Amino acid sequence: MIGNDIVDLALARTESNLKRKNFLDKLFTKEEQLLVENANNPEVMVWNLWSRKEAAYKIYNRETGIRGYFPKQLVCSYESETSGTVCCNERVYYTKSTVTKDFIYTIATIEPQFFNQIEKINLDYKIHKTNGIPSIIDTQTALSKPVSITHHGRFWEGITI
Amino acid sequence: MSKQEIIEELKVIVKPYIQDDAAFDSLTEETDFINDLKINSANLVDVILDIEEKYDIVIDNQAMEKMLNVKAAVEIIESQLTEK
Repeated sequence: MIGNDIVDLALARTESNLKRKNFLDKLFTKEEQLLVENANNPEVMVWNLWSRKEAAYKIYNRETGIRGYFPKQLVCSYESETSGTVCCNERVYYTKSTVTKDFIYTIATIEPQFFNQIEKINLDYKIHKTNGIPSIIDTQTALSKPVSITHHGRFWEGITI
Repeated sequence: MSKQEIIEELKVIVKPYIQDDAAFDSLTEETDFINDLKINSANLVDVILDIEEKYDIVIDNQAMEKMLNVKAAVEIIESQLTEK
């Protein structure tokens, strides 16, 4: 199981007002809000944490079939700018994030050893959707492989395992 | 306030965030904010804050969880308004 999420920082700047009253409070736990407050770049911290929650939610949604808007139940443990975990109702997801000046990109897995088995896919792949969940057919084995896709603004990323 | 009135007001609230005009034009109770209107998940919180401000109500975490479509939003607004 994998999930990914990308944030185009330029677009996020026009779409969201992080200073809006109650904005952070609705999305982030007290601990996460402290991370934002104490960060050198609060904006980057907000979107870093958000992309982790989104990537982890994609796995949680597929594992449980539960769909909802509960960002504060996706609790980030922030180890560093590039790694951490997200817990949601006893489930733990491992995250790896890439931070650049243009985007923040997070991949989530259910086991840390899966990170080196993840392959990037591009728009040439034929992506099937079953109950809204994307997959591709492996040309070698003819087996279906799970896919996670994310796009925001200028960026598109797809992965499979 | 009737359900239809709430839906009309809700349309005004969500309009700045939608990314699918066709789905917006044919909006019904069943319309999904994310899957149909393509509202960015980070903007769904703005929809929620706009609803709180417009109706002077509080949407707690439990109610927020369900805020994925027009029907759920209308039900939450209705139930909060009757509690006032």
